[in-house]
Amino acid sequence: MKKLFVRLTGICGILLGALGCNLLESHPYEVNVNYRDLNRQAMDRIESECSRKSTIRYVWMGDTHRWYDETEDFVKHVNARQDIDFVLHGGDVTDFGLGREYEWIHKTMRKLHVPYVALIGNHDILGNGLDVYEKMYGDLNFSFIAGTVKFVCVNTNALEFDYSYAVPDFGFLTREREEDPGRPFEQTVVAMHANPYGEQFNNNVAPVFQGHLRRLKNLRFCMHAHAHKLMVTDFFEDGITYYGCAAMKDRNYLVFTITPEEYSYEVVYY
Amino acid sequence: MRWCIIKYRLYLTLFFFGAVPLSAAVPPEYGKPLSEEEEAATRQARFERNTDRYMEFWNGLIPRYGKVQFAGGMGLFSLGIGWDYGRSSQWETDLFLGYLPKFSGDKASLTFTLKQNYIPWDCTLGGRWHLEPLTTGLYINKLTSRNFWGREPEKYGSSYYRFSTNTRASIFLGQRLTYLLHEGYPRRSLTFFYEFSTCDLYLITCMTNRAIDLTDILVLSFGVKFQFL
Repeated sequence: MKKLFVRLTGICGILLGALGCNLLESHPYEVNVNYRDLNRQAMDRIESECSRKSTIRYVWMGDTHRWYDETEDFVKHVNARQDIDFVLHGGDVTDFGLGREYEWIHKTMRKLHVPYVALIGNHDILGNGLDVYEKMYGDLNFSFIAGTVKFVCVNTNALEFDYSYAVPDFGFLTREREEDPGRPFEQTVVAMHANPYGEQFNNNVAPVFQGHLRRLKNLRFCMHAHAHKLMVTDFFEDGITYYGCAAMKDRNYLVFTITPEEYSYEVVYY
Repeated sequence: MRWCIIKYRLYLTLFFFGAVPLSAAVPPEYGKPLSEEEEAATRQARFERNTDRYMEFWNGLIPRYGKVQFAGGMGLFSLGIGWDYGRSSQWETDLFLGYLPKFSGDKASLTFTLKQNYIPWDCTLGGRWHLEPLTTGLYINKLTSRNFWGREPEKYGSSYYRFSTNTRASIFLGQRLTYLLHEGYPRRSLTFFYEFSTCDLYLITCMTNRAIDLTDILVLSFGVKFQFL
């Protein structure tokens, strides 16, 4: 009997321990993550760290999906260099939209010495993924200023929203045109997950979308992920170039350098 | 000659009439017509036999135990019924109805689970306590919610995501502790169990990545089983 009590106490102990570390899971799609507002924290850090910089250099990557080993190597590779200001993740953080996947990726990405900001991808919306993203990262459309550059990050995964929500959100893009004297910037770069004229994008409004982007202050170029291949495309043949990054499985990322006068990019393999 | 014919006919008639009570004593042979009573008796026997078989079939479907399970990727808690079978009741099949409270912004939903257990060993601990040191098996869980699909909705075209968001298959390993409520008959008992499980999506992620450990994909659940038959 004494043995039994020892055993029962042991089981109770395990159960209590499990409660503390998310072991007790009612469903893989439950919205139960330990992190909140990661993008807000990262953007605050970027804005303060880059506030006096005229030249900024950042990494554009995306589509980590289920390539955790490759993402680990990516983090090590970026950490080995000293010239990067921040990392911008172009979405498809997860493969199935599961809460645990979000946490697994963050456990890797938070090892970065520089802050990282993540956009939402179509895979991240599956199941209850949208709720997890909003809890863990924040708004679907957001912007931040690094040095003199404003980064406008816009949700373009229209297919996942059945074209019945404002995706892309023109109201948001219109507000981004307004200038706040307290937060000056000289140029704009737009980041999105799904590219125009892809199957996720709301192609019916693609030219309207481009019209909105062109009205942003001194738009330099756009970036997208989703396609899983390196792409340099002038979708609207209007001189605005869209740069697409490869998926993590291809073991490369893009490094952009923006000065007040010009910008350049390079593909870095790791 | 004429008398002979009449006598012959008389004998023949008598033979036939006399043969009837005789034939009633011997079992009816195939092709011979039966009397009404015989037919009724046969029909009743057949009816009873069929009824027994019918009752036996439905009696077999009466659940032999109930289960409550907490967590395990099949709902916050699930209520189930089940059947045990095999030489030492080493097999158990359960059907669960699970409750999933609302996730942020979503509605609460129900889940259905079909679970197959294999319990190879039963050790007597002394007294009425038994330990089943290993339980293993698998279960398939289906979530009923409009936001989740079994087959990809048409909007995606064909083979866009290549997996189902509402159906998950899990495998598990666990242990159980049983307390017999009576010495001997009736065979009622309470069983406490816990198990570690993981679902298909976790498993495939763990198997294809060194960065994801077994501890990352484990899910704990526990429950109680009440055996009433």
